[in-house]
Amino acid sequence: MSARDTILNAIRGGLGNTEIHPMAVRREADALLQGLPSIRPPLLEDGLVDAFIARVTSPKVAATAERIASASELPAAVGRYLEARGLPAVVALQPAAPLQDLDWSGFELHDEVAPDETIAIGVARWGIAETGSLVFHSGADTPILANFLPLHHLVMVRADTILPFLDDYAAATAGQRPPRNVNIVTGASGTTDIEGSLVLGAHGPRFLHVVIVGTPDSSE
Amino acid sequence: MQEATLSFKARAKEALADPTLKIAIDRTTGTAERKRAVAMTQFPQFEAARERGKRIKDHVIANLDHYLLEFERNAIASGAKVHWARTAEEASQIVVRLCKEAGAKRVTRVKSMLGEEIGLPHALDEAGIERVETDLAEHIVQLGGDRPSHIVWPSMHRTREQVSEMFKRLHRAPHQEETIEAMVDSARRELRDKFLTADVSISGANFLLADTGATCTVTNEGNAELTTTPPRVHIVTAGIEKLVPSMGHAIAMLRLLVRSATGADVTQYTTFHCGPKQTGDRDGPEEFHIVLVDNGRTRMLREGMKDMLRCIRCGACMNHCVVFRQLGGHVYGGTYPGPMGAVLTPMFDGLEQSRDLPHACTMNGKCQEVCPVAIPLPTLLRGWRDRSWREGLEPTAVRFGLGIHTFVASRPRLYRLGTAIAVRVMRLFNRGGLVKGMPGLGAWTAYREFPAPAKRTFMEMYKDQEKGQ
Ligand code: SF4
Repeated sequence: MSARDTILNAIRGGLGNTEIHPMAVRREADALLQGLPSIRPPLLEDGLVDAFIARVTSPKVAATAERIASASELPAAVGRYLEARGLPAVVALQPAAPLQDLDWSGFELHDEVAPDETIAIGVARWGIAETGSLVFHSGADTPILANFLPLHHLVMVRADTILPFLDDYAAATAGQRPPRNVNIVTGASGTTDIEGSLVLGAHGPRFLHVVIVGTPDSSE
Repeated sequence: MQEATLSFKARAKEALADPTLKIAIDRTTGTAERKRAVAMTQFPQFEAARERGKRIKDHVIANLDHYLLEFERNAIASGAKVHWARTAEEASQIVVRLCKEAGAKRVTRVKSMLGEEIGLPHALDEAGIERVETDLAEHIVQLGGDRPSHIVWPSMHRTREQVSEMFKRLHRAPHQEETIEAMVDSARRELRDKFLTADVSISGANFLLADTGATCTVTNEGNAELTTTPPRVHIVTAGIEKLVPSMGHAIAMLRLLVRSATGADVTQYTTFHCGPKQTGDRDGPEEFHIVLVDNGRTRMLREGMKDMLRCIRCGACMNHCVVFRQLGGHVYGGTYPGPMGAVLTPMFDGLEQSRDLPHACTMNGKCQEVCPVAIPLPTLLRGWRDRSWREGLEPTAVRFGLGIHTFVASRPRLYRLGTAIAVRVMRLFNRGGLVKGMPGLGAWTAYREFPAPAKRTFMEMYKDQEKGQ
């Protein structure tokens, strides 16, 4: 007997060889998620964007955040970030249209992220207020390594893509073909592996800066 | 499992005599305990969420064959190759074969407890394949040539001084400054090019999603994604109990897992991996393999240990275990330490080898209290004790003691009376919250303090509550 059949038979035997009705299993599984909203952790603020920012900048997540009115202001925001830290205006830009279409004059751009890249600019598909997370899908305009190699990671997210809870992300994508990778990124890379004390910049970025564009009802 | 030959007592004695070990354990478990407690206050519905989590896992286990087949179907549809392994050896052989087929000289690994359980590090070393551990703690364990001592913080037994010394000796461009930041940086430099030049990556999975065939990893360092993206082949090894019906269920479980493990709300990186590189993708592996491993899990189902299949490997039970916090993880001798390890190791290594483990427990019930999926660990441990006694594995002295224990334990009123008396005696020796110099505890309290019992036992409080007080 193949390993597969041995294991499946052993499971059936262990469960008492009862018959399984897929529809009933499905109903039971759905029922397990019902009423979940009543047992979720609370959001930190009333407004979605405020709740998101409060979480992003909370000591637990320890990232920084700022708001801009429109995406066209992003290059200036990046410029300020670099200047404040004395970094050169050389950045890896995620090859995504919402970023590439902006006016980056004065910057030296490239789209391949080097192993020791200082700063990469990306755009997240969603933000999650519950946890202060950013969600990325791998794809033609989203190399996964770009989220992990740079020392500074600057991420733009549109206010109208901020969802209240992680479950809302699951609901928003249910039934769609998943990308190879879904990255839910919450703060900079960290480790507590040496004596339990938190150090940022373990293997991934040491600094995460989130730039929120527009308002929840602006369809910019 | 090289230490399994030493008896538990001998290992415990060594651990008690090690002056730095206790410091190292306290620094990590103390922080974990504090942070978890804070996280609980920030999530008032945790109890209800925990009940839900328990039911999700029970539902999956009750329909495990159904979910495995659904997962397999969807994983294959996503382009993954699915393999099945009955035993640890079979699983390791599959991974080694896949590495060889890929012509792998160097593999990078993301820490996974299942990988440790099936002896994968050893199997890769034997096969002459260069293995690079990318999780910082596993990197420290690999440099030190020893074994993980905790399931979340595998290098918890090392002090910063020891880590510093190792890095200075073994890294190509070690740190100059004596700070933890500088040490972490040294590891970052050391591992960077290895991430990018490996031929195969190997990871575990925290969850397997039946409805998409995706696998989920959680890390704080970001090493999972750096590990699994560049190489041509990515291999996932996962226990068959890791299934959840959908991403929604995975999220419900993640809320429990991370708070219980580190006190954070989520890990810095939660990633769902679904199949190999898709058309147009900028990066990612060409091949994606998933090895589904039984290794005793179907036996647990048959032999009354179904509850243990809920375990999500958060480590809370060990962080809150008085025995673990005195002795650390190595004394348990198996892959999994602490209360959950004391339940699992007799299953994996045989009860005769590990019959001491179920006794290394004070039955204070703390582990069950903090377990995010409400596993009745003390009951399962008692099950092993009884079985060990029935099978005649206990030496006479223990048999006598256990005989009394069984006699009393099977008579709930007597048992409660017994523990109540013991607790009261300990209260008499309570000095500022810690029991010191209590007769009968000998070497234990000569070197360490014994946490004083609570003002009232759990059962006392429970009864009050039932009475509506
Ligand atoms: S037994 Fe419970 S507390 Fe212990 S590791 Fe498993 S899930 Fe966590």
